[in-house]
Amino acid sequence: MPAPATKYERIVYKNPSEHHYMKVCLEFQDHGVGLNAAQFKQLLISALKDLFGEVGAALPLDVLSYEEKTLSAILRICSSGLVKLWSSLTLLGSYKGKKCAFRVIQVSPFLLALSGNSRELVLD
Amino acid sequence: MVRFKHRYLLCELVSDDPRCRLSLEDRVLGVLFRDTIARIHGTFGAAACSIGFAVRYLNAYTGIVLLRCRKEFYQLVWSALPFITYLENKGHRYPCFFNTLHVGGTIRTCQKFLIQYNRRQLLILLHNCTDEGQREAIQKSVTRSCLLEDSGEEELSDNGGEEAAEAME
Repeated sequence: MPAPATKYERIVYKNPSEHHYMKVCLEFQDHGVGLNAAQFKQLLISALKDLFGEVGAALPLDVLSYEEKTLSAILRICSSGLVKLWSSLTLLGSYKGKKCAFRVIQVSPFLLALSGNSRELVLD
Repeated sequence: MVRFKHRYLLCELVSDDPRCRLSLEDRVLGVLFRDTIARIHGTFGAAACSIGFAVRYLNAYTGIVLLRCRKEFYQLVWSALPFITYLENKGHRYPCFFNTLHVGGTIRTCQKFLIQYNRRQLLILLHNCTDEGQREAIQKSVTRSCLLEDSGEEELSDNGGEEAAEAME
């Protein structure tokens, strides 16, 4: 007897995810500069405001997690604003007169993807 | 073919104060628009909009302004217009706002729209008129604009609008 045909259902999601998640790290030229979470968000908003004005500064941006020791954070931005945020992070040069730069470590439309980074994988 | 395409924004300056319109100057307006776009859209907006930006036509009597901008960035310019809330002239601030009447691809389409708009405004003025002297002046302007239409030569009927505006004041 022939085996009954297996039924399967394929679900394709065409809509892209609403938010993009970025793992970023802020590096200062000289060490010993600390920022708390509010100052960090203020820095992000001012970078957006510089390049894209009031409209850019009003983008719905969230700092999901922030570590003051390493100055690294996970940001969430709506997908239409990803290019604006990334370009304003690129062009940000200084905070209160001290030179700094943003390093973008990982970007993904899924938050879960930020938990494992194959670049940091150590192979024995 | 390959050419730079523009969008022409036809705007009207609306203000309570009658002195506000008289203080309109193209250079002052140009600076005002550039500053507002820089505030609202930042460095990127200021640079993108200022390439093809120009104040093409200005009528201080009726408060009509025609702006030109590149087709790719006309929405940045258009969205910055509601954020202009006052005009500054010699230390005086006049609260006002810009009402966008028409967006056209060429000056000619904006001119055609402006002629029709002015005709309609003359009829509205005639309807709301209270003074007999003003009524006669407006009726003369209306008949003159109709005659001009019939004869096939359409001049910019801002002249009629001008006289009517002066008659109102």
